[in-house]
Amino acid sequence: MKHKLANTYLILVFIILYAPIIFLIAYSFSQGETMTNYHGFTWRHYQTLFSDARMLAIVANTLLIALLSSLIATLIGTLGALSITRTTKRVTRESLLTLNNVLMVSPDVIIGASFLIFFTMLKIPLGFGTVLMSHIAFEIPIVVLMVLPRLREMSRSLLDAAQDLGATTRQLLTQVIIPFISPGIFAGFFMALTYSLDDFAVTFFVTGNGFSTLSVEIYSRARQGINLEINALSGVMFLFSLLLVAGYYWIQQASQKRRHRKREVTS
Amino acid sequence: MTQPLITLRNVTKRYGNHTILKNINLTLESGKFYTLLGPSGCGKTTILRAIAGFMSVSEGDVLFAGQRINEVPANKRNVNTVFQDYALFPHLTVAENVAFGLTLKKVAKAEIAERVAKALKLVQLAGYGDRAISELSGGQQQRIAIARAIVMAPKVLLLDEPLSALDAKLRRQMQYELRDLQQRLGITFLFVTHDQEEALAMSDEIFVMNQGEVLQSGSPVDIYDEPINHFVADFIGESNILPAKMIEDFQVAFGGHQFECADAGIPDNEPVEVVIRPEDLTLTTLDQAKLTVTIDTQLFRGDYYEIAATDTLGNDWLIHSVNPAEDGETIGITFRPQDLHVMRFGEKEAEFDARLETYEELEDDGVDET
Repeated sequence: MKHKLANTYLILVFIILYAPIIFLIAYSFSQGETMTNYHGFTWRHYQTLFSDARMLAIVANTLLIALLSSLIATLIGTLGALSITRTTKRVTRESLLTLNNVLMVSPDVIIGASFLIFFTMLKIPLGFGTVLMSHIAFEIPIVVLMVLPRLREMSRSLLDAAQDLGATTRQLLTQVIIPFISPGIFAGFFMALTYSLDDFAVTFFVTGNGFSTLSVEIYSRARQGINLEINALSGVMFLFSLLLVAGYYWIQQASQKRRHRKREVTS
Repeated sequence: MTQPLITLRNVTKRYGNHTILKNINLTLESGKFYTLLGPSGCGKTTILRAIAGFMSVSEGDVLFAGQRINEVPANKRNVNTVFQDYALFPHLTVAENVAFGLTLKKVAKAEIAERVAKALKLVQLAGYGDRAISELSGGQQQRIAIARAIVMAPKVLLLDEPLSALDAKLRRQMQYELRDLQQRLGITFLFVTHDQEEALAMSDEIFVMNQGEVLQSGSPVDIYDEPINHFVADFIGESNILPAKMIEDFQVAFGGHQFECADAGIPDNEPVEVVIRPEDLTLTTLDQAKLTVTIDTQLFRGDYYEIAATDTLGNDWLIHSVNPAEDGETIGITFRPQDLHVMRFGEKEAEFDARLETYEELEDDGVDET
């Protein structure tokens, strides 16, 4: 009985969480122009979406920004995490971590506004470059936080052992440290990717006239009134994020399976 | 004498104001099993790290086959280490772990495979090559760690308390295997432990350490039978240690009586300490007794009884006897002169050795009955 109640509760929660998304996607197939009534099935909104060159360009921009910024942020963040753990002085290490965490928790609006002030002060024209830079900036702390725990798990003697067996500092990094922390690096990369894809607040401040990302574009279109093309776009984005999750899951499964296969050979 | 493999000459290590190693001198010869024995924090692991190259020494020289290697980094030294926590690479399989060093050296693939297979066979884990590290038990991981080090064919293998994480039975088994492995490979082992039993069972030579100093070095028998001071006597095995006075050569007084002993070269009437191992004490009748004691308690230990007793002056005695005694019984104990060992206060190893030399020949044809 108790078990049943818990299950019902869980199902209810998920229905409430997913209902708006499903509602939105369902109307993307409606023949009407508004979301007041469902008027029968059509692909029309998807056709408009895929013939909307401006929208497609924005999607491409958004993906480009997300991929590029998360790649660079992963690189910088991993190096940062490495140097934080290498810091022997406790005070320095703790303050570096705190500075990192403050960036994590401070509101996006503040970060966005400060970036805007920063860029205008330096007279950097707003556009692709500024959006990329600010995305990299707020993704770095995420990557650092994902990589640090793995680095901490690595015992000092593991490095000693590699050195003992003849590894140079470079080989230490490529043969031992990077493989060991790679789950953390992957997690950091995917987190950064999703953060970049759905960021609105920071991007809103630093996009110039000619440049826009999806979240900003959807926001500005939604202000002009509901357009079912947005619903179609949401449907595509939802599918995309599902693929992303599936992809991440697949990578994890594959690496587990590889280990598993090795085991089967012997036993 | 052949060229010593490793020499530490006046090695000192300080961290800030804290001195970890005080003027260490030691020599390791080729093909022997050495043990650094001491309580935790005595600096034994620090010596190992200095030889492996993970740490630089503050003063003194580390020599390898006569060459000073203070500045040589760890990855260029011809020594390998087995770590206390094994330090196996979790992202690699067993075979990849063992092959790690050879792969870095860019040894040919076929040769790597052959040497890895041989090393795995040596540690009795042939056929485990494709397993993941996480699938192995503690004892198996231990063997892989050893295989990973010996596959590099080092001149010296350093072992940092490698058996401390194993259960008692496995530890005993590994003691035999390590000793056997060392003799088959013929390479020098330097083994670090705080377990005196382990040290006595496996070593050719033991260095007993405390507080950053080597107190005594020698064969297990020497160290057990002739400990240099109170610390060594107490740390290695069980012992009865009593305050005594040297009357003259081969005569020592304690417990209110004067006894014949096997030590000499100490000034007359100097206050000393006497060690008697519990197994050297024999229960006897009162008329044959050298000392009279009253039995307090006894514990049955399987192959012997461990008896706690008190003598007439209130000194506590620990006796290992094959036969039981009665609680509260007053009984005599006896011992042979050579079972007594006299220790001077504050005597250094060099002085101790020199003193032994002066009378040991004399002892061989005179006092010693065995």
